[in-house]
Amino acid sequence: MKCRTVIDKDREEEVVIYVHEKNSLSCEIEELVMGKSLEIFGYKDKNAVKLSPSDVFCFTVEDNKVYAVCEKEKYQIKQRLYLLEELLDKDFVKINQSCIANIRKISKFDASLTGTLMVSFKNGYRDYVSRRQLKFVKERMGLRK
Amino acid sequence: MNKYLKSFFHRGFVFGGFGPIITGIIYFIISLFADDFIVSGKEMVFAIISTYILAFMHAGASVFNQIEEWSIVKSVFFHFITLYFAYVFCYLFNDWLEFDLRVIMVFTAIFAVVYLVIWITVVTLIKITEKHLNAKLK
Repeated sequence: MKCRTVIDKDREEEVVIYVHEKNSLSCEIEELVMGKSLEIFGYKDKNAVKLSPSDVFCFTVEDNKVYAVCEKEKYQIKQRLYLLEELLDKDFVKINQSCIANIRKISKFDASLTGTLMVSFKNGYRDYVSRRQLKFVKERMGLRK
Repeated sequence: MNKYLKSFFHRGFVFGGFGPIITGIIYFIISLFADDFIVSGKEMVFAIISTYILAFMHAGASVFNQIEEWSIVKSVFFHFITLYFAYVFCYLFNDWLEFDLRVIMVFTAIFAVVYLVIWITVVTLIKITEKHLNAKLK
């Protein structure tokens, strides 16, 4: 497959893929582009901040509001969790009904003696993996097909 | 409302309906093997209500394991106690268990052993999963 990058400051930035049919590479490129270009605005103290998904540790729901948990701050965002789930790339996986985790920001998994699998993020934030989502987490981590 | 309490009721209402379905299946299986098996309307209603409560408590009590403020001992204790009393109450209410101290003691012992076996199995499986997932993270 040919690949070329055209630098033209007068045109709107876009990525166009020409393929005979959809394949894994075109899908991956699509996901990568969609993920990188996804614009999320976080709100805190009436200030809006543009967030890059790669900086978000997880998206979580508290009191029916969706928050993006970053390294030190937590921002409220306007998008609903189910919509984010569709838009986010492969680095993100839903770990329970109210949390979508960024795999790259997970420091470790902890099995508790209560039979619950906890996720510890690199910023110290913790949440649990529900039994329903465990198979999807395993799939995303490459433990099962 | 406390988020865990809310989750308790949410899970309970979502999965409570599975209790009566399981009861129906069990009664159906018994009827296949016991020719003289008859259930009165009253017994049926009691069984439906009881198994709904049991499924509700089972699903709801699972939230105890996710309360981070609680110690493991406290979580397991409350989970065990909630299920134990739900079972004893429902079994006595339906006459599935005789109201006799000795019978209740035997039931308690069986319940504790089964609970322990399930607990060990779940913890072992989740420990294996934890090991595999952490290996993938590295």
